[in-house]
Amino acid sequence: MHDHSAPQPAPPDPITAELFRNAVVALADEMALTIYRAAYSGVLKNIMDFSTAICDADGRLVAQGLSLPGHLASIPQALQACLRHFGDDIAEGDVLIMNDPYEGGMHLPDIFVMRPAFTAGSARPIAWATTVCHHTDVGGRVPGSNASDSTEIFAEGFRIPPLKLHDAGIPNATLLRLLQRNVRLPERVMGDLRAQLAACEIAIRGITDLVSRHGVPEMQALLCETMDHSERLTRHCLSELADGTATFTDWIDDDQIDAGVPIKLVCTVTKSGTSMVFDWTGSSPQVKGAINNTWSYTAGASYCAAKCVLSINMANNDGVFRAIEVIAPPGTITNALPPAACAARGLTGFRAADCAFGALAQLYPHLVFAASDGGNTGLTIGGTDSDRKPFIYVDFMSGAWGGRPTRDGLDGNTNMFANMASFSIEVIEAENPLEVLDYEMVPDTGGPGQFRGGVSLRRTWRMLEAEGILQVRADRATHRPYGLQGGGPGAPSRNVMNPGQPSEQQLAAKLTMTLRSGQIFRHELPGAGGWGDPLTRDLAAVASDLLSGKITHQAAHRDYGVVSHSTPPVIDAPATIALRQHLKTQRGPAPSPAWHPLHESSQDHTS
Amino acid sequence: MSLRVGVDIGGTFTDIVAIDSDGLVRTVKTPSTPQDYSIGIERGLTELFTAPDEAQQVDELLHATTIGSNTILEHKTALTALITTRGFRDVLEIRDLRMPRLYDINWTKPPPLVPRHLRLEVTEKTRPDGSISIQLDQASVDEAIRQIIAAQVQSVAICLLHSYANPDHERRIATALRAAMPEMAISVSHEILPEIKEYPRTSTTVVNAAIQPVVRHYLRSLQTRLDGMGIAAPVRLMQSNGGLASSRHAADFPAQIVESGPAAGVVGAAVLATRLGEDSMITFDMGGTTAKAGLVEHGEVMRAEAMEVGGGVMAGARLLVGGGYILKLPAIDLAEVGAGGGSICRIDPAGAPKVGPQSAGADPGPACYGRGGTAPTITDCNLVLGYLDPAGLAGGTLPLNLAAATAAVQTHLAHPMGLSVQQAALGMLRIAAHTMMRAIRAVSVERGRDVRACSMMAFGGNGPLFAAAIAAELGISRVIIPPMPGLFSAFGLLLADTEHHLSRSFRARTDHAATDALQSVLHSLLTEGDQRLAADGFPPDRRQTRLTAMARYVGQSSEIAVPLHLTQAAGILADLPCAFGIEHARTYGFSAPEGDPVEITSLALIARGVPEQARLPDSMPPGQGQAPNQRQVWFDGPGWIQTPVLPRAALTDTARPGPLIIQEYDATCLVPPGCTAARDAFGNIVLQLT
Repeated sequence: MHDHSAPQPAPPDPITAELFRNAVVALADEMALTIYRAAYSGVLKNIMDFSTAICDADGRLVAQGLSLPGHLASIPQALQACLRHFGDDIAEGDVLIMNDPYEGGMHLPDIFVMRPAFTAGSARPIAWATTVCHHTDVGGRVPGSNASDSTEIFAEGFRIPPLKLHDAGIPNATLLRLLQRNVRLPERVMGDLRAQLAACEIAIRGITDLVSRHGVPEMQALLCETMDHSERLTRHCLSELADGTATFTDWIDDDQIDAGVPIKLVCTVTKSGTSMVFDWTGSSPQVKGAINNTWSYTAGASYCAAKCVLSINMANNDGVFRAIEVIAPPGTITNALPPAACAARGLTGFRAADCAFGALAQLYPHLVFAASDGGNTGLTIGGTDSDRKPFIYVDFMSGAWGGRPTRDGLDGNTNMFANMASFSIEVIEAENPLEVLDYEMVPDTGGPGQFRGGVSLRRTWRMLEAEGILQVRADRATHRPYGLQGGGPGAPSRNVMNPGQPSEQQLAAKLTMTLRSGQIFRHELPGAGGWGDPLTRDLAAVASDLLSGKITHQAAHRDYGVVSHSTPPVIDAPATIALRQHLKTQRGPAPSPAWHPLHESSQDHTS
Repeated sequence: MSLRVGVDIGGTFTDIVAIDSDGLVRTVKTPSTPQDYSIGIERGLTELFTAPDEAQQVDELLHATTIGSNTILEHKTALTALITTRGFRDVLEIRDLRMPRLYDINWTKPPPLVPRHLRLEVTEKTRPDGSISIQLDQASVDEAIRQIIAAQVQSVAICLLHSYANPDHERRIATALRAAMPEMAISVSHEILPEIKEYPRTSTTVVNAAIQPVVRHYLRSLQTRLDGMGIAAPVRLMQSNGGLASSRHAADFPAQIVESGPAAGVVGAAVLATRLGEDSMITFDMGGTTAKAGLVEHGEVMRAEAMEVGGGVMAGARLLVGGGYILKLPAIDLAEVGAGGGSICRIDPAGAPKVGPQSAGADPGPACYGRGGTAPTITDCNLVLGYLDPAGLAGGTLPLNLAAATAAVQTHLAHPMGLSVQQAALGMLRIAAHTMMRAIRAVSVERGRDVRACSMMAFGGNGPLFAAAIAAELGISRVIIPPMPGLFSAFGLLLADTEHHLSRSFRARTDHAATDALQSVLHSLLTEGDQRLAADGFPPDRRQTRLTAMARYVGQSSEIAVPLHLTQAAGILADLPCAFGIEHARTYGFSAPEGDPVEITSLALIARGVPEQARLPDSMPPGQGQAPNQRQVWFDGPGWIQTPVLPRAALTDTARPGPLIIQEYDATCLVPPGCTAARDAFGNIVLQLT
């Protein structure tokens, strides 16, 4: 595809290359800021569920803005699918649009908007400005277009194959009218599309400026050097790590359609020399429910885990991908075939990241944390108020990191795979017919360990209107977040109706039900896994956990072999030494990783 | 004679600038005394006074201090308790969940400023409309007070859900606490930030509480020293928002003075910009470890509605937040990058040159300081190119070792890249300049401003060295180096006004808003602003107000500030959609189709006390400086050039072409070839780029 007739420029000098690299990364960040600030959708703002990037003429990623780790592999997939479709039929002023998971996309709410940058007199673009945003709604059977219980993509919303949103500068009115007619909140979708277009406009201006500074062939060489540099750096970091192969299995509780049937993810990591392979062979076949991954999302989880063990945090681009191969067999939950539903595949991305971390932990025990909370819980309460006005409340909760090789896991922090923010309680109450009764940490939920896993967060709502539909997508209720190196698993997630009342009732992790006036619903996130033998935990750390109320005296005794009493806590040191000795002899060698599924049946599915 | 004195305390130096009634200026730079900063101030003032009775002639003492941010950075906050609504004590620790770095499993949240066992819950609940869902349970208040007494807490924050809508429960708890412990420092959320969103309100209130005993103690010991010296003048403190506040206000609301020092420089630049008739100006402040950029438009500094304290440098990417403690108070909008004179230059394992963010600091410092540092820094690069005087900094009091700098650049940079020492050094300076340009773009281009239409004011110890190169890259044609660039923050203090920044939550669509409700919020804001200025002693004719609305398209998730030119609710509601659309288009490059509804989320007021006389003197003397000479200086293209080295006083209003070096005691200004330098009537160096 390259034009080899032009004379090759001299390789860029290191200073020019660094200046260019910084400029192109800054440009991708400027695009991201534009979307972040101008966005309508709360999903964009709070979960940062969007990405921006500069790609070269072949659709290779040169720089990606700082937003969502899960999107690491998505943009080149999307752009290359479009390039395959359009071939040379790309002109100045074109803007491409696409959301089809089966032609380069991820799930229907993620709409890609991409615009080529041309130089004077050239028929082929020199680079691409690309964006992807999770839109509030793209139609389909439920508000938000992200139900986990759809069984084919045709139920999930408006599906856009690679098309031109603008054709040589002329907006595609037909497509826009169709799109507006097929989504629930057209103003919001149009507003977010405008933000995407504005980000592309900024990038095109920046690319044009770079071309005028450097010249066309020099710019092409600099784009290549930017990717080559990341490849060299990635391979350098990989060469610092020991070679080896390890396999890890993790589980999703179920897909809500086949309730109670666990879904397996298997990741084999092979590190050899200066490359690494993530192979997902052995993972469950694609499922009926809407939690099927595209290849790109499985790859995003793999890259995210890999980047966490590399000693240098380098720019995200094609150079990184060259050194890290991802194999996801078609027809499995890691690389679904049409017409599988995939709107709620966020869950599978989180679990794939957990699984990839688990495999890396076998190779590099001192570089990887125990399992975090398993990703966010998605919750929607919708209905109509007394004036028959519709309300829809969409929330995502997230919160605990696994114990780490040198320190405790974080209590109350976003998952590594998604840099999301929490919603304000006061705003939830001001905008919805709901009262929030608590939002707090739950004691004794962090996996015990020399370095404790983060504790669970819980939130409790009371319905104030006559009724509404409650949808919850949670997991890790039966397959708890694993501990490592002798650390214990985190507490399971819980859904509870009317907690503390005679009518208290435990509910399934994934549910769709009616919530009536006065009813109280509580969700508890899973706690995170612990790292290292809890019987070796520093007594000062146990005392601090007792003082803060993150563990109770009973848990100190049971999990940590610590004898303590009173408030503020007093630790009986001689009794503790004796108890720890006793527990050490009593229990066998700690499992690694600690794996305590509540339903033993899931072990049956391993073989 | 009377004397106005500005005192700016930094981590290393205490800078003092004074102007007397004849317009004469004096300066003192003295080492800071971190064990008790007031000692350094007394020392500096003693040095400043030329006659024994001058202390009595001080009629104003204006002060910028890092005491607030240092208290947090050094974990020296007071033992603090938080009283909050039952079920929500972890809001402070959970924060907004977000992290400032990706792919780093060792990232650790800043520890909460109130430990969990001192976050005490009371039984109560107010609804968003201000009505009461659960009455305040007195027994739970008594229990919280009992625990506060038992734990010997030094300061208490009170923040209840929805207190912005009805502060009654917060007030009752504060009253009970005062009755039980009359001396206790108490910070109440509805007084500090009466706005919706519990996390930023709690965090802001807690920061205020946690630093209050420390700041109070400091202000008291400062007052004692000033009394001892016979200085009876009132002390006014620079707030992060750029306005001055009384010492008493600062003691009650110390969260407002956290970014005191950087604000003062920008305020000085804004006043000077107005004097010079500069409509849009970038401020560029570069010191030893960081560089900060701000924007001044039509004489007003650009403000942000929130900031983080204690999170280190904002790495140019404002998407990734959560490194520090959020303060949702208006602050001068500064973008900061970790590039300064001490920034270390290196080559990464894949052969790419990098600058910072690691800094050699003051000890061992750059290789040329000869204190054991071997890594090349930005200062070393400046030295090998001849931009800095090999005879040393600060008039030769800090000698520099050129051979050590050259060796460091040669070994660690030039050799690995296969470049000459000069090419390598210049390359690192260009990379540093590009990093700093990101800060400038963050406050200009990223907000829809055309940076080429701006001039630049450069100050700080290293600002004048880099200004011309950065301006050239950005297409800025005019650079102003104010007098005393290395002490400009202290000078800026002398130019600032007293300001009160107030805000109220008010959420309504412009097409559905209750005009009466809006009018009542406006009335309450304007009345409070008026009362505060009256309390500061400003008569009605010297009170100014400036109203803004935070607004967005309905459905949008962030707001932009729209200035309001009316105080009548009906007029505001009619005009706002159009004004908002224009501001949106200017900021983001697009607006929604006409008729898309717009909503207000909050209202803010700046109440400003205008001084009786202009605070800016007509001109500033250029100072003495050394006699002109010349030295070899290396520039890209021509290479070594014998370059004149001048004091500021040697410049005139006739533009003189570069290359030139203007060397002053506190800073060095580089005028490269293709650029001219003149001195204007005020005393600024004005660089013109062609």
